[in-house]
Amino acid sequence: MASTGQSLTSLKKREATTANNRDGDQLIITPLGAGNEVGRSCVYMSYKGKTVLFDCGIHPAYSGMAALPYFDEIDPSTIDVLLITHFHLDHAASLPYFLEKTTFKGRVFMTHATKAIYKLLLSDYVKVSKVSVEDMLFTEQDINNSMERIEVIDFHQTLEVNGIRFWCYTAGHVLGAAMFMVDIAGVRVLYTGDYSREEDRHLRAAELPQFSPDICIIESTYGVQLHQPRHIREKRFTDAIHSTVSQGGRVLIPAFALGRAQELLLILEEYWSNHRELENVPIYYASPLAKRCMAVYQTYINSMNERIRSQYANSNPFEFKHISPLKSIENFNDVGPSVVMASPGGLQSGLSRQLFDRWCSDKRNACVIPGYVVEGTPAKTIINEPKEVTLTNGLTAPLNMQVHYISFSAHADYAQTSTFLKELMPPNIILVHGEANEMGRLKQKLVSLFADRNTKIITPKNCQSVEMYFTSEKMAKTIGKLAEKVPEVGETVSGLLVKKGFTYQIMAPDDLRVFSQLSTANVTQRITIPYSGAFAVIKHRLKQIYESVESSTDEESGVPTLRVHGQVTVKQESENHISLHWTADPISDMVSDSIVALVLNANREMSKVVVESEPVVSEEEDARKAEKIVHALLVSLFGDVKFGENGKLVISVDGNIAHLDKQSGDVESENEGLKERVRMAFQRIRSAVRPIPLSA
Amino acid sequence: MGTSVQVKPLCGVYNENPLAYLVSVDGFNFLVDCGWNDHFDASLLEPLSRVAPTVDAVLLSHSDTLHLGALPYAMKKLGLSAPVFATEPVYRLGLLTMYDHYLSRKQVSEFDLFTLDDIDSAFQNITRLTYSQNYHISGKGEGIVIAPHVAGHLLGGTVWKITKDGEDVIYAVDFNHRKERHLNGTVLESFVRPAVLITDAYNALNNQPSRRQRDQEFLDAIMKTLRADGNVLLPVDTAGRVLELILILEQFWEQHKLAYPIFFLTYVSSSTIDYVKSFLEWMSDSIAKSFEHTRDNAFLLRHVKLLINKSDLESVPDGPKVVLASMGSLEAGFSHDIFVEWVSDTKNLILFSERGQFGTLARMLQADPPPKAVKVTMSKRVPLVGEELAAYEEEQNRIKKEEALKASLIKEEESKASLRTELPVNDQMVLDANNTHSSSNAIGQRSEAFRDVLIDGFLPPSTSVAPMFPFYDCSSEWDDFGEVINPDDYVTKDVNIDQMLMPVDGELAGKLDEGSVSLILDTTPSKVVSTELTVQVKCSLIYMDFEGRSDGRSIKSILAHVAPLKLVLVHGSAEATEHLKQHCLQHVCPHVYAPQIEETIDVTSDLCAYKVQLSEKLMSNVLFKKLGEYEIAWVDAEVGKTQNGMLSLLPLSSPAPPHKTVLVGDIKMADFKQFLASKGVQVEFAGGALRCGEYVTLRKVGDASQKGGSAAIQQIILEGPLTEEYYKIREYLYSQFYAP
Repeated sequence: MASTGQSLTSLKKREATTANNRDGDQLIITPLGAGNEVGRSCVYMSYKGKTVLFDCGIHPAYSGMAALPYFDEIDPSTIDVLLITHFHLDHAASLPYFLEKTTFKGRVFMTHATKAIYKLLLSDYVKVSKVSVEDMLFTEQDINNSMERIEVIDFHQTLEVNGIRFWCYTAGHVLGAAMFMVDIAGVRVLYTGDYSREEDRHLRAAELPQFSPDICIIESTYGVQLHQPRHIREKRFTDAIHSTVSQGGRVLIPAFALGRAQELLLILEEYWSNHRELENVPIYYASPLAKRCMAVYQTYINSMNERIRSQYANSNPFEFKHISPLKSIENFNDVGPSVVMASPGGLQSGLSRQLFDRWCSDKRNACVIPGYVVEGTPAKTIINEPKEVTLTNGLTAPLNMQVHYISFSAHADYAQTSTFLKELMPPNIILVHGEANEMGRLKQKLVSLFADRNTKIITPKNCQSVEMYFTSEKMAKTIGKLAEKVPEVGETVSGLLVKKGFTYQIMAPDDLRVFSQLSTANVTQRITIPYSGAFAVIKHRLKQIYESVESSTDEESGVPTLRVHGQVTVKQESENHISLHWTADPISDMVSDSIVALVLNANREMSKVVVESEPVVSEEEDARKAEKIVHALLVSLFGDVKFGENGKLVISVDGNIAHLDKQSGDVESENEGLKERVRMAFQRIRSAVRPIPLSA
Repeated sequence: MGTSVQVKPLCGVYNENPLAYLVSVDGFNFLVDCGWNDHFDASLLEPLSRVAPTVDAVLLSHSDTLHLGALPYAMKKLGLSAPVFATEPVYRLGLLTMYDHYLSRKQVSEFDLFTLDDIDSAFQNITRLTYSQNYHISGKGEGIVIAPHVAGHLLGGTVWKITKDGEDVIYAVDFNHRKERHLNGTVLESFVRPAVLITDAYNALNNQPSRRQRDQEFLDAIMKTLRADGNVLLPVDTAGRVLELILILEQFWEQHKLAYPIFFLTYVSSSTIDYVKSFLEWMSDSIAKSFEHTRDNAFLLRHVKLLINKSDLESVPDGPKVVLASMGSLEAGFSHDIFVEWVSDTKNLILFSERGQFGTLARMLQADPPPKAVKVTMSKRVPLVGEELAAYEEEQNRIKKEEALKASLIKEEESKASLRTELPVNDQMVLDANNTHSSSNAIGQRSEAFRDVLIDGFLPPSTSVAPMFPFYDCSSEWDDFGEVINPDDYVTKDVNIDQMLMPVDGELAGKLDEGSVSLILDTTPSKVVSTELTVQVKCSLIYMDFEGRSDGRSIKSILAHVAPLKLVLVHGSAEATEHLKQHCLQHVCPHVYAPQIEETIDVTSDLCAYKVQLSEKLMSNVLFKKLGEYEIAWVDAEVGKTQNGMLSLLPLSSPAPPHKTVLVGDIKMADFKQFLASKGVQVEFAGGALRCGEYVTLRKVGDASQKGGSAAIQQIILEGPLTEEYYKIREYLYSQFYAP
């Protein structure tokens, strides 16, 4: 069904070349961010004049404008729908900028939980990020404004905007995370965002969509790596912490405030309640943000798994007994062993960095990095365990603390990705959201996995467009009077083709108001013309022009009337006026116009005696005139039109030549497209040149 | 040609009985709603019992008794076994409603129509959907898509849309177009021209005062009574309209800093509110918004206290108070008891917020004038003593033995089966047992917790499959304790009953508040003692419409807007049904049906239709014109066949035949006036016509004021003398239409 051609031109260039080519079957997917990188997820997609943007993130390793996806590659005003998969900064944080500072005027959707956390998270981001005012992408006010424009969608709820149908599935990953399925004219695209097929302590696993998409845009964060089973990771995590604190050390867990942090807190809470000996070791989560988001976690239990919901029945699992919030480092009484979970996860700044600086040179301490770390952040640096680290104040210090890297980030690993894709069987796979190397390895493995099938796997870089062609069959439903009898091959069907979204219906005009909200109208026109001559003169003149002129008298007023062409009624209203009466349609309008002209003429030439002279126009002359016109019109359409042999016209366009027989209308040409166009053009010209049939 | 559709009412036509209808779509039988009344009158279900086994799917629209009350009974006794579809709140609140009913009934009678167990197993079959989720039915009903849509009225209330081959059958009863405090209005109006619409005539004759005025009167009445040192009783449903009342009271109390206590008293009140708190995404936009901005959950109640036990209410110091208690019918539940206590004091007020079901005490009291005295039955459960007790125990022992035997047999079979199926499953499965074995896991945890044993839930010994198959535990306990005859030995029975409750929904039972749990668990042999007494009705009685349904006028205008091709009327008094039928015949559509019980009507659309493929060749020559959300074009095409036998439309080889001109478009005089004005033409309305410029007039005759199916084609007359202006205006007029 699909033919894939991958061309790696920049979008802008492509726009220039294809501007005139209205090839609606071309589907374009361009990552504006997260192409061969992790961060600033933003994928642009356009098909049949409909445009969808998935996600709108920032790159956590950059700041200011540099962190944005490449928005200048697209025209934001053309985007119909923007879908946000989840609240993480690399998926949602450039939304206020995009909504408030660009020409975007489409609609934005996210799930309820995502929207609730989005606001808290971004307000916090604005406060925390320490950049100069010029570098600020947006302000608190912009976030509040953006809230007004964001609409919510529930899982599985199907919405339709402008002919684009879309719905979302549970994605695992974090609370409210969604995978979006978009359906444009029957072509389905699945965008997974970040997803995880593994159920954890509070989230469900990502669902397997019931329909196979034509294109699957999938994350590749972990490439070909495999996760350890979850309980082993949990054990490593708790063991590392347990041994550190029992030796009097302090544990720093730099974690992003929302999402995985809640999962870790659930693990710690459970571990602490099972190990009484740890009761005196305090656990802190140093994030007012996480505290504020608790209400959201407590409310949207319906998006979580059965386990949490059954716990919720007894008590709120997010009300912790052993874990207390920590406002700032000033309030932190740093005596003896403790466990502190602090944001940000990349140790760029903020509390986690302050604690790291304070604790890094003591070898009793430990730092547990619980999730994926983005390239370019200090956390990524210390995973490689360098001897020394640079502190925020510019000094260097030895890195003596132990560094554990235990990944809890709920991204799919290779096992999950490959089974997911095997079950889904998309004919086209586009990898995004992964480091170039990991992505390359994943691509290789997937290529060999799907070797027997004709699956295309593409890894576009940022701003590289993937172009595909889908020849979708357009189906129409003929309904109502027009469908009373199913036609045989060769019969003619005439009716109104009504298109709504991407569904087509064919119906008789009378049925229009039955099957749609459209209605039809009749316009009756009445025009009065001053005329003081004899009515008979008009009649006489009309008879010269029109074949059918019936005279009668009006029933009400008894004035004489003429019915011209069976459509226009001429009535003598008074001595000085006559009126024309007709129901508007192109032919009647024309007839009436000619009558008006005739009456005006008659007015002027009143006194003139009319000399009849039967207009004799020879057939031959007529034909010659027609031929001239046909030729002229064809020239205006195709340019190079010559007279060929046996009265045929030779039309050449771009090296393709068509022979047109003027008598029969037959066209011969090597090129099917040209043949069709010439045939159609000639047909139309002929119907324009020929006299109007009276029967209409 | 079209999809065949039959409708057969099973209950609730030409009267206000509960709702249950059979809708067959191409032979696939939907049972839409499965209601019962507060009397649990089994005779009402006779028609249902005749068709129950043939039902292929059940759709529930609201969470009250009238819409889903008979589900447990039908599943247990009538052979109904089809999958059930409902929204999450309907499922959850419906479950609580049924619990409340059962507990209220059990307290005062030997209620044996269904048990908590039956309720649970009936609700276990429910597939939960979200609004606008298109659910594709597989198997027999292949090709049918069902989707719930917002109905208003109750939380999670549903308008069902059943689609097959592009034809919509819509079932919309008890909808509310008005936005309320906790709910959005229905989206029914967004459906246009469905093939069939099934709706109710319940409110066809009712008209409502404005919301503001009604709220004011409501609060005034309550305040007047409280200030005069009286008590106010609001008989309410368990988890439906009561939410709106709670919000009204809560808001008013907050605004005016009132100190009078408010109590919400049902057997499940605290679980109700707990669950409602987590249903924010199903509520109105304003509630969602306030949560997003301030994280303020509207159902975090500050003034309303939740009670699950009448003794809690009795321990409250005397003084004026407001009590919301179930059931709304006053036939059973706390409201019944409180009514009897309060009815003979003139200071008190009983405020009905909904019409009582037919034949109930509430309905009697709503009569005008209210009765002077009513007969009520006071029933009480008393423990058995002496001989009765001995007989009871003997009987219980016999039953237990039998069951233990049966259980051990089942256990054997199950363990065999489970070994086969579960062995290959790895650790991961065990960890994630919640997913596939949610219920059983929940039981495991729960029943263990009862005995103070902690299960980690995460690292069970790999050999143990117990958390997944707790039936062993329970059956073995049956073994262990089955012989025990000492009735004082409560513990065993606790566990037993507890588990009866658990299999479906561990979480829920957990939510049941201690009081009610103790009631469920309290298996002390007991009997019901009833006394009849007559009470004088001296307190004030008021009825106000807080039912949250669209009123007659709105129903009519909504129906006219939706303009179904065929309309089926159900549920409503005979007069209301007849009235609405006559109205719709005139103004909505020519096919209006109001079938009798068990009368099958065929509403298959007489619509002809066939599918054709639009060939690329044809489409490349079609130029669409956009009109609102539609795009239209005229096509003349020749019929051909594709390789796979589909009909396809190809361009004509001969010149197109002439056709009559049609002007497509809906012209509104006011809009056109604006348009002309914007073009610099002087326009004004004069005597029903639009005067454009100096001489030209534009008139619309046969105005399409009736928007229904019989609406005439618009007739527009343009008149004027021969001037340039005439042609200019004509051109503008044409520009408003599409003329293929």
